[in-house]
Order: sequence, then C-alpha cells, then structure tokens
Amino acid sequence: MTRKIVSTGRGGAGKSTFVALMSRYLSSPSLLIDLDPDLSLADMLGIDLQKVYKRTIVEVLYDAVKERQRGGSPLTPVEDRFQGLIWADCLYEGKGFDVLTLGTKDLEGCYCFPDHLLRKIISQLSRNYQNLVIDSPAGLEHLNRNIVSQVDDLFVILDPSEKSMTHVKKVKAILKEVGVMYNQFYVLANYMFDEESERYLRETGETFLGKIEYDKRVEEYNLRGESLHTLPEDSPACRSVRRILEKAGLV
Amino acid sequence: MGKINVVTGRGGTGKSTFTALFTKYIKAKPLLLIDLDPDGSLAKMLGADLEKEGKWTVADALFEFIGKGKDTKDVPDLLKRKIEEGAILYKDEKFDLITLGTKLAAGCYCLPDELIKEMIRNLQKNYEMVIVDSPAGLEHLNRKVTPDINDLFVVLDPSEKSAKHIDRIKYVTKGVNISYNKFYLVGNYRFTEEIEAYLLRSGEQYLGRIAYDPLIREHNLKGKSLLNIPEDSPSATSVKKILEEAGYDLI
Repeated sequence: MTRKIVSTGRGGAGKSTFVALMSRYLSSPSLLIDLDPDLSLADMLGIDLQKVYKRTIVEVLYDAVKERQRGGSPLTPVEDRFQGLIWADCLYEGKGFDVLTLGTKDLEGCYCFPDHLLRKIISQLSRNYQNLVIDSPAGLEHLNRNIVSQVDDLFVILDPSEKSMTHVKKVKAILKEVGVMYNQFYVLANYMFDEESERYLRETGETFLGKIEYDKRVEEYNLRGESLHTLPEDSPACRSVRRILEKAGLV
Repeated sequence: MGKINVVTGRGGTGKSTFTALFTKYIKAKPLLLIDLDPDGSLAKMLGADLEKEGKWTVADALFEFIGKGKDTKDVPDLLKRKIEEGAILYKDEKFDLITLGTKLAAGCYCLPDELIKEMIRNLQKNYEMVIVDSPAGLEHLNRKVTPDINDLFVVLDPSEKSAKHIDRIKYVTKGVNISYNKFYLVGNYRFTEEIEAYLLRSGEQYLGRIAYDPLIREHNLKGKSLLNIPEDSPSATSVKKILEEAGYDLI
C-alpha cells in the first residue's frame, strides 16, 4: 500500500523544505507532487524542469483544452487523456523519487479543474510507489478541494505566531467538513521557534514531533537553486527532519 | 471613487503586517480594508474582534444561507441585505473592514471571491481608498477580484523563489488582464543588503525594506493591535518611509 503523506501549513512556514528533506529518507520510490502554483519544490531539489523538457500539469492540461477547442485532434476528452499526458510530459524521474508539478495558470478562474482531475487519478498515479508525498500550497483552500481523501500522515508546519494555532483549528475544521480522513495529525515547529513557543506548542494537546532546526545552508542552497539533497547529512536541518520522520515511523 | 491598492506576496512574507502599518499611516479617509485570506489575520492585527462585535465574515454569511438551504441564486441578494444591516462591515475609527473568512465546505473560493468583488464594486465609491490584503500565493490573482489596481505591492522574502514569484505575478496578471498603475517591490524583515542590491538592479521599482522589529511578533502573539505600535519602532518608521517613497499622503 502506498503511504500517503501531506505537508501543509501557512505560507513560508517551510512546507517545501520539509518535503524536499523528507524525500531523502523515505523508502523509495516516492512520488512527490507539488500542488503549489507558486512552485518551488523542483527548485529545491535542484531540478530545472525546462531543461529536462518536463512541463507542469497546468501547462499540459490547458494546452490540451485549447487544442480541442480549436477543433484539433484527438477527439478523446481531455479528462480521459489526462493520465497519459501526465506520465508522458510531466513526470520527472529522479533517483529514488519522481516529481510532478501542478504549475501556474494564467487563465481566469480557480484551480478546481486541474485539482479535480488530479483527485480522480491520484490513486492510480501513486499505485506503484511506496510513498505519495503532497506538498501543499500556502493556506487552506487546497484542503477544501480534497485531493487526497485518505491521508496517512498529515504534517502541519507552524511558524511561531498566534496565527499558527488558529491555523491548526481551521485545518481541522475544514478536514472534518470536507471529509478528509487522516490517520495521524502531526504538528511541527519551524526554524523560527524558540523554546518558549515550543513549550506552548507542547501544551496544545496536538502530537508535536519536533522542530525543523534553523540551518543557514538551507537558505543559501535555496538562493543558489541547489538541491537540498546535497545538504550534508550532519547539518541541523537534515538531522532534525530525520528525527521527526523516525518519530513518525517513516524511516 | 476610492483607488484600490493591493498587497500580495508569497506566504509568511509580511503582507498583513505591511497592510496593518499601511493603515496606521495612511491619511486617506474613509478607508476600506479587505482581508482576502481564508487564513485571515488582518482583523486581529488591527485589534478588531469580529466575533465579539457580532460581525460575520463573507464565508460565514454565505454558508449560513446555503446551509439553511437557500437557493444559491438568492444568495447575493441575501448577502446584500446582510451588508445593509451592517452584519459584515466592521467599522472602526480609522478604517472599515471586510473579512473573507474560512470556508468549511468542499470546493474553491470562487463564489465568496465573486461576492466580495461585487461588494467592492458597490462600496468603492464611498471610500477614498481601498486596501486589499491578499492570501498567500497566486490563485487569488486568477480570480481577478480587483481587475483595476492602482498600486500593487509585492512583499518579498529573500530567496530565489521571490524573483520567480515576481515573474509569475506578471504572468498571471497579464494572462487574466489585471491592470495596475504601479508595481512596487517591498523587502521583508529578513532582507540583507546584498539581496537589496540585487533587487535594485532588477529593473523593478523597489521601495525599501520593512525593518526587523521584535515588537511585531510580540504584538501578534499577544493579539495586540499594530496600530498602537510606537511611532519610533523600526517597523513603523520603515513602513512610513516606504509609503513616502510611493508618494502617499501620510498622517
């Protein structure tokens, strides 16, 4: 069975950093899906999608829609061709992990259509992987769209502000209303936490797995566009993420 | 007719902080603030307790009606009545505020956004200025809540992703036909001089940096209004300078 893991949280909390580092330690192969239109997971893994001729899901999807509108072939509805298109044009195959990127849309309207199509095929897409890891866009809206309705491990990455605690409550409320089931609900502290706010987090009654340690090199790597997979094993960020994953039973 | 200024950026960069301090210093009156973030926190940052005042968010109102089985097509009228009754518009000495709020049903924010768009259209004429605080990311741009923007402020964090974020904002605004008068960049509190120099070279109009200020975090953690932050605090003076740079009349 594919283990379904979701990383979510407020903007800038460190969701993608966590996913990028997590993918080093998970049993392979894993499928990583970047749902953020302001995509960055590929960057963090040192992947230049254009250079390897990979396209985003949105690009492929709307090209196919436009082509059909122009009366072009083939006549099969885009929905039915979606999975094939993704396999052929979007899937980046790395060592131990593959990556799919939702991408940025420049048409009016929301991301319901691509998200909806993705939801329909996600179990099939991830079937042959040990793990499916979803890197979410900032905020809450993606939860309402319920792309994965059965989550094994849900990680909420928090920054140390009062807003974070409100965020946790909102996440739970939405999941409940929308009908997303999860096995484990974990909260993580991001690199900005100090001991006082950490203590506060422990007292909330949520399962707190630890803190992703501050690591100057993560910032440097991101700025240079270098893969977080080349970050030294003994760096604070790596060590802390590994420890978190051990606690969650994912390593 | 009040001009519409929009504050946007990646998650956690400081959009709401900037909006709150913008509110503190702007002379324009009457002033309407819109918090478009489902994970919204602007009210709190301004010391406004919506619940205590018995005010609804747009999402609250919407799902109250829909939950009670009202026909969707009647909802705009019902909502209009609610607004007229003053149930949504929060009024303070310095500003009026409309909050989008969190939606607890499946689907996207297209409908609530559409309603808020209509509200802005109707209310705009009563105000000298409208400031919109955006949710993290890009999707709100695709929904074109404000098609004609006066000044668009992008609050940036110091990462390579920020540079890409700027490109993507331009890509989406162009694609969906959002016009703006000025496109301003604002550096957040984590900026270094090196990165500032880089932005200055980017050819975009860079207004300056919001200085790091421990008071901001303290105020946010305790839920105190940023309007009361001391005049000589680093964040206040730096935002004031940024707004002067953009040519605003300040108090």
